[in-house]
Amino acid sequence: MVTFAVILGWTALAVLFAIALSPSATASAPQAMPFLGGGSAETHAWQRFHFRPYTMSLLFIAFEMEMMFMYPWAVVFVSEGIKALAEMGMFLAILSVGILYGWREGIFRWQ
Amino acid sequence: MAVIGDTLAARAPAAVFAAIGPGRQAGTERLFARRDMRRASTPRDASILLVAGDIPSEASEALARVHDQIPPPRATVQWQGEDPDRIVARVMETLKDLRVSATGEENRLPDAPPNEWKGIGPHGQGGKGMMGGTPYGRPMAMTGPDIRDGLQLDRYSARIGPFAPMLPPGLTLEVTLQGDVICDVSIDSPPFAQPADADAPDLCLARVLRLLGLDRAADRVLGGKRPGALWVQGAISRGLGRIDGTDMRDRVAAWRKGEAAPLGPFDLPRLLIGAEWSEAMLILASLPPSALIRAARAPEAA
Repeated sequence: MVTFAVILGWTALAVLFAIALSPSATASAPQAMPFLGGGSAETHAWQRFHFRPYTMSLLFIAFEMEMMFMYPWAVVFVSEGIKALAEMGMFLAILSVGILYGWREGIFRWQ
Repeated sequence: MAVIGDTLAARAPAAVFAAIGPGRQAGTERLFARRDMRRASTPRDASILLVAGDIPSEASEALARVHDQIPPPRATVQWQGEDPDRIVARVMETLKDLRVSATGEENRLPDAPPNEWKGIGPHGQGGKGMMGGTPYGRPMAMTGPDIRDGLQLDRYSARIGPFAPMLPPGLTLEVTLQGDVICDVSIDSPPFAQPADADAPDLCLARVLRLLGLDRAADRVLGGKRPGALWVQGAISRGLGRIDGTDMRDRVAAWRKGEAAPLGPFDLPRLLIGAEWSEAMLILASLPPSALIRAARAPEAA
């Protein structure tokens, strides 16, 4: 019962907050355009561009995930024994594929 | 609330968007070095449009668009070369009126999208994939080879100016961007003519500092102080905007010493193509207005 009330209460709060923060739909057509110092755009703003640091973020996520699971794993490692070691080995093998891919893409080359 | 509105808000510097006309660049830039004035970098940030000088008729549509992009309530203040103190007083007066009456100027352009929504599907959802359809009259960006590594990436083209605060007043560039890399530039209209006082070393240095986000330092430069050499030089990378063996660092160093930085003729589009957007804006700020006007007019004469 209490759980239910908490969920309902938080949902109501979130809805009220969203309503209070929602932008009023009074923006005119010129205001909906991007500001280009009085100029106008030829093409739509939706476009695909090269996210250049993506290999760096790949490397970051690989090591971050590794650390995230290694902390709880270290707690249970002694009681679980060889099984936990094998599981972590598999996990690290999968992650290292990502690191190898990043290596091929040239993350470790310093420019 | 009323107390806060009357005291704190009234004491804050007035955020003003400036549309600068021919011959008014130096005066307007010196106006914004004052403590009680702040130059807004977008119309969203401002409630007052300061129109300095006479805007030529070919830029009047752009001026109307900038005017409409200022959120209401808004007001326009015309500046025809009166004393700066009087214009600041008028801006403050207008701001107070806006706060009290809350009825500003109406839109100048029609409140309608430039074109109707047009699509192929039953709900007007466009054509094939991401490249189909023309939402509100603007086609989706099409791909072209990236100038750095040849990947097929979308090209976004837009006309920027004549009132973009990071460009010299009047300059309209037709820019094609891939991400933030400029892959094509052409000059739509050259900057408005400015007398030689816009080339003053302190104004040129203040322009660079403002672009680097060092507003207080720029105000101090216009107040007659020199910034430390080390951190100004460190903020600008070497080899940027190299013309005849002098790069942006050399020009900024000359301005810091209070000397002019004379420049030979150069090809403006060639200088900007291949640069990232931030680099291109720094390069433009590192060129004195007279040299920019000459460079922008050269292809027209040819």
